[in-house]
Amino acid sequence: MSEAERFSVPRWQSGQPAELRVLDVDVEGPVLSDEARRVAERIASKYPTRRSAMIPLLYLVQAEVGWVPRRGMREVADVLGLTTAEVEAVATFYTMLKLHPCGRYIVSICTNPSCALLGARRLYERARELLGESAERVSEDGLFTLEEEECLAACDQAPVVAVNFLFYDRVSEEQLESMIEEIRQGRPPAASRGGIPGELKDISRVLAGLGTDRAAEVEDG
Amino acid sequence: MSDPGPVTLTIDGKEVTVRAGTLIIRAAEELGIEIPRFCDHPLLDPVAACRQCYVKVEGQRKLMTSCSTPVADGMVVFTQFTDEEVKKAQTSVLEFLLINHPLDCPVCDRGGECPLQDQALAFGPGESRYVEAKRTYRKPLPLSPLVALDRERCVLCARCTRFCDQISGDRFIELFDRGAAEQVSIAPGEDFRSPFSGNTIQICPVGALTARTYRFAARPFDLVTADSICPHCACGCNLRVDLRRGEVVRHLARDNVEVNDAWLCDKGRFAFSFSDRPDRLTTPLLRERGLEPVSFAEALSAIAGWCRGKPVGVLAGGRLSDEDAYALSKLARTTFKTNDVDHRLGSSDVSAVEAETGMAAANPVTYRDVERARLILVVGLDAENELPILHLRIRKASRRGAKVFVIHPRRTRLWDVAEHRSCLPGEEAATATSLRAELAGAGAEAVVLAGPRLLQSPGAAQAMATLAAETGARFVLLCRRAGDRGALRAGLHPALLPGGRRVEEDDERAAVEVGWGTLLPHEPGRDAARILEAAAHREIEVLFLVGVDPLRDFPDATLARRALENAPFKVVVDASAEAMSSYADAMLPAAPYLEKDGHYTDWEGRAQRLRAVRPPKGLARSEWEIFQELSETAGADMGFRSLDDLHEEMANLYQSAALGVRGGPAERRGSGDQPTQPSGAGGTRHPEKPPAGSELILFSYPLLIDEGRLSDGADLLRDALEERPFVEIHPADAERLGVADGRPVRLQTAAGRAELPARVTDGIAEGAVFVPWNQPGFAANTLLSGSAITAASVEPSAAEASAG
Amino acid sequence: MAEFQPVLTARWGDPEAATLHGYERTGGYQALRKALSMDPAAVIEEVKSSGLRGRGGAGFPTGTKWSFIPQDTGKPVYVVVNFDESEPGTFNNRELIERDPHQLVEGAIICAYAVRCRTAFVYCRGEFVWPGTVLERAIAEAYEAGYLGKDILGSGFDLDVILHRGAGAYICGEETALLESLEGFRGQPRLRPPFPAVEGLYRSPTVINNVETLSCVPHIIDRGARWFASIGAGKSTGPGIFSVSGKVNRPGNYEAPMGTTARELIEGHAGGVRDGKRVKAWTPGGSSTPLLTAEHLDVQMGFDEVQAAGSLLGTKAMIVLDERDCVVDAVLRFTQFYAHESCGKCTPCREGTWWMTRVLRRVEQGRGRMEDIDLMQTVGQNMLFKSFCALADGAVSPIDSSIKYFRDEYEEHVRLGRCPLREESPRLEAASARSGGTTGALAQVLPEGIEVELGEVLG
Ligand SMILES: Cc1cc2nc3c(=O)[nH]c(=O)nc-3n(C[C@H](O)[C@H](O)[C@H](O)COP(=O)(O)O)c2cc1C
Ligand code: SF4
Ligand code: FES
Repeated sequence: MSEAERFSVPRWQSGQPAELRVLDVDVEGPVLSDEARRVAERIASKYPTRRSAMIPLLYLVQAEVGWVPRRGMREVADVLGLTTAEVEAVATFYTMLKLHPCGRYIVSICTNPSCALLGARRLYERARELLGESAERVSEDGLFTLEEEECLAACDQAPVVAVNFLFYDRVSEEQLESMIEEIRQGRPPAASRGGIPGELKDISRVLAGLGTDRAAEVEDG
Repeated sequence: MSDPGPVTLTIDGKEVTVRAGTLIIRAAEELGIEIPRFCDHPLLDPVAACRQCYVKVEGQRKLMTSCSTPVADGMVVFTQFTDEEVKKAQTSVLEFLLINHPLDCPVCDRGGECPLQDQALAFGPGESRYVEAKRTYRKPLPLSPLVALDRERCVLCARCTRFCDQISGDRFIELFDRGAAEQVSIAPGEDFRSPFSGNTIQICPVGALTARTYRFAARPFDLVTADSICPHCACGCNLRVDLRRGEVVRHLARDNVEVNDAWLCDKGRFAFSFSDRPDRLTTPLLRERGLEPVSFAEALSAIAGWCRGKPVGVLAGGRLSDEDAYALSKLARTTFKTNDVDHRLGSSDVSAVEAETGMAAANPVTYRDVERARLILVVGLDAENELPILHLRIRKASRRGAKVFVIHPRRTRLWDVAEHRSCLPGEEAATATSLRAELAGAGAEAVVLAGPRLLQSPGAAQAMATLAAETGARFVLLCRRAGDRGALRAGLHPALLPGGRRVEEDDERAAVEVGWGTLLPHEPGRDAARILEAAAHREIEVLFLVGVDPLRDFPDATLARRALENAPFKVVVDASAEAMSSYADAMLPAAPYLEKDGHYTDWEGRAQRLRAVRPPKGLARSEWEIFQELSETAGADMGFRSLDDLHEEMANLYQSAALGVRGGPAERRGSGDQPTQPSGAGGTRHPEKPPAGSELILFSYPLLIDEGRLSDGADLLRDALEERPFVEIHPADAERLGVADGRPVRLQTAAGRAELPARVTDGIAEGAVFVPWNQPGFAANTLLSGSAITAASVEPSAAEASAG
Repeated sequence: MAEFQPVLTARWGDPEAATLHGYERTGGYQALRKALSMDPAAVIEEVKSSGLRGRGGAGFPTGTKWSFIPQDTGKPVYVVVNFDESEPGTFNNRELIERDPHQLVEGAIICAYAVRCRTAFVYCRGEFVWPGTVLERAIAEAYEAGYLGKDILGSGFDLDVILHRGAGAYICGEETALLESLEGFRGQPRLRPPFPAVEGLYRSPTVINNVETLSCVPHIIDRGARWFASIGAGKSTGPGIFSVSGKVNRPGNYEAPMGTTARELIEGHAGGVRDGKRVKAWTPGGSSTPLLTAEHLDVQMGFDEVQAAGSLLGTKAMIVLDERDCVVDAVLRFTQFYAHESCGKCTPCREGTWWMTRVLRRVEQGRGRMEDIDLMQTVGQNMLFKSFCALADGAVSPIDSSIKYFRDEYEEHVRLGRCPLREESPRLEAASARSGGTTGALAQVLPEGIEVELGEVLG
């Protein structure tokens, strides 16, 4: 298999054999800025043991890069006093840590039965048509990553679509089309709750636990 | 800990009484009932992940995993032998394990010794109900130059990852991903660089982890297997040696809970080819025009001739068997009438005799004591590099709750489990006094492990022994090499006779004289350094070099070379022809550990049986036989014809009576002069003039994997673990001196200079610099003048300086 | 019986309820004041006698759980709020937090006071970016108002709360996996014993409770255990929020006394099945509980009652399928969920879910064999109660129960060589052919025979 072929294997994080990652791209140079390192220190010291900051710090890397390159794992290992393997073991366990370059907007469509019974699969197929097959990794314009999602705990609003994990209720195919169009034009529509989704980097900051400022912002807006 | 007392239960209708807390799977073993298992390992915490070991416990709704369920009084247990439901559960787990397992047993290294294969044959279904495609992976995946991983064969039992987590602490392999894609992996770019990596291969229950030294090398059925003891260090690990057509193909650990548990370090496991190297010395050689093969008789009579009436000096290495060491000690004393005999080339502390005497006569601390201790003080020892299995025991003790202190100028690999007290080289013993209260608090539950570093500073070893005695702690002066403890006990020491008897003490010497039936010289002899000096001045005319190479081993390369150049006759007894061939006047072929019977005494003082696993190559033979023949040739027959003869003599002479039997505590502790306080970098014989501008203290000791001769041929081991030479320096010193991490620096001592890349780390004491003893292209003894501690100056290398 | 007045959802109509001001205006934090005036042991006693049982799925008595916490270990005590809600069909925790976060905060503080905990954690499902933010804000408000932090309301009791976000793993809802995850490890369950009450977070005594469970607590303290116990049926006391979804007219969370019948919830509260169709199958407590059928609609939704009917109350999450829906397809999708979410630690779950997905996919696509149906049943039996945690038991539930009630539908798939009910849709057909069975990326959950390329052969 050539490296290009490896990349073309549609990716579902937990199903991806390690060699696909082994040959995966990485980034150059330090990932965490001095400022980010200070933030990392602050997060780590919040917990009774530093290691508890593992997931927040991986989100912090995602907030800096837009995904979690191995270089970032190495730096997290450095902050926490661990081996890179210990960090990668954790990073590969969770689906929200993106181990390859991905779109600035992650479009997740729940296809679990509560949503599937109400048309989620058609919706997913429509999204795939609109965004192109490659969007299952990253769309050609670099804007989207399309994911089939497990139950998002919003079954009352099925079918649910999430953009960077902000939920859109009872989405029809037409709504989906216009959502995508608006994101393309740089004006993502407001989610059903939580306002306008930021890019994955912004949302990752919130996930890292640095979101209180954003909460205020959403409240105002 | 209080003993929770015994518990009685019934398994398959049979009653058994075990300690409370015992797991059902172990209790069943007591009855000879083998419950199948994959993830269970007696030395790892239970995970109960494979679910193979199900049993039925009366009164429980579900089946229980016997590897994680402790016994209870009156418990009634049924295994697969007596319960159909249990059998069915085990069979179905096996089916699950097999659906994705390749059918490659015929080409698998584990074929023939694989529990999965055995169980599948025993009660696997004949035909698979699984018709879908199997999970496949690219394979084999190299984890390091030594270890390869076949993920398709892996049963995800996590033994390997738990070993790295719980035992070695080297967490370079981990389980990645999840669900059916879960797999063992490394972080690419970060090798499985652990000196204990090979253990994961041995405990992998299937052929998933394999040794790259052994892949496809042999099948279990064409192996000849023998028990042995590891020749590398004083840990005394129990080995199983596998030979194919007479050549060693692998070393495995033999379980021994008193010694190595079930572990080996990678050196013990992978450095085994030295005795099959082409440079093996297989016949006596005598220097005519060049070194030429001769008969033993010819060689011995020539040697006897040189020695007649001439001053003889004897230097021994650290890997003689107990019997060889004893025979050599007796040869020197009775045949050559000299006490100029020593095996301690690295030591420069004359005043350590006191402590050494104790070690020669008693066995004050064992692995078990370390494991059970409440407080462990490790002083002057880099355990992972110098005594790796003791290192694992200290880690084990710490997991059991022991408080560990390390006093050492370099941060050691115990950093994550110990409280580390840094100090300058030479100040270890003085630093240790700050722990007096802690030691006294733990009393006899405290163990003081005193490492070789102490022997670089006069009085340090004795000071530690005294501190231990005063606080009630148990004390052991450690030795590093497999033969060291036996050599000390045999009296390969200028001031000590067998059993730790002192040359100077008439009554003690007399005891030996009676045994040997001859009068012995009553002045202590020269130690290694003075033997070399005397040889350099031709005051010693015949220099015996038994399994030793002073050019590599003595902390003053210049003196060693002068000695070898000037001494008129050099007699080399060695397994390798290369070793001293340019200097030797006679060379006698010795048999390595594989080819002789005898004993090795480990650092505890435990003598363990060494067995010949194959006949000697060519004319090689045990050293003791060579020495006996030489004594006969010289007309002073030592009188032993067999190992039995030797053992009888040794047993009589060693205070502790028979070999392998524990002696009582050291009797003479605390007598004699008060030890002098250890000083900075002292302890050298010729007080050197430090070069101008030197303000740093340089010290050196061997890393586990280096250019040592016994690792010759273990290329993959060296690829995996051998470090390039470097000089370690503290960031504060580095900054002051303008030294940058990774850049070359110039190191200058009174003895010499070297250019090495700097490694700037706060893991070393400020004011100290460290160089490894013997890495590719660098030998630290070129910088030393008799002690492994010396003053040095450091500056950026000239090229650097001009560039900067 | 007097008409049931909503308790947990009482404030849901109030847009201000999510703010401290709105919460306090409707009596918020009065229960905390009352609790702080009580002896901690009395608080535990009150919760015990309320009969409150955990709403996270297992139904363990909450007060009893709190009373297990030893106070003499010299180690800190921790409280962890399980806000990982990921069980398919379950969505009441999310709505509870979005609409009334202070109720949970107050319940958690009372719990912490009762077990003498000084640091509490909320493990918030990663995907809950917004609910997590709402809760973060509520916690910040509580700090500001002196309900959290040092010397709470002058009582001398200190408490910090840390909100910790997960990163996408269903298994992290399982309490010991949650602890592993919170400590920065892979979210794989831990061996029990020791139980979290003795050795939980950081090896210290730990209480773990579900959001809905803790949301009940202020009401129990406020209105008394006896009042709480008077609601509900049998050993299932108090009010409960039932999540109804799927083919009903009004999917949503409905609060009702524990023990309300399924019929009342599905046909009454949720407005019955769409388009006047009939209920075919439903889950009483999320996908991990065995399916029930139209025949079981009069079952009372209480722990023991549902169990007697052959299923489990689980998370009170009712996913409703109607007669047009393919059971095999739904079960396949559930099974993919478990295969995707299996943590990989133990053999029966890791291999069983993978195997089942494959067999089901074949059957659903019409490539099955009759013997596959028995095969799935026996493989299911081999997984049941044999795995490390309950995830695999949950995975077996839909398969086993659907074969029990709808065997003919499986057989039909095999006989016809296709799904008898699949709606005709060229687009979905194409997707199905492309990925095998379901659509989309999830078909790639597990690599099906990645081409083997013999890597470098090592010598
Ligand atoms: C696979 C699995 C997933 C679970 N997920 C959740 C969850 O998302 N939320 C939850 O509260 N409990 C979940 N649980 C149950 C918890 O393990 C635990 O019983 C519960 O949090 C205890 O709280 P309670 O007593 O308040 O119900 C799960 C259990 C299992 C086996
Ligand atoms: S490689 Fe071997 S030891 Fe490691 S998890 Fe797999 S089967 Fe177990
Ligand atoms: S040996 Fe008991 S579960 Fe693996």
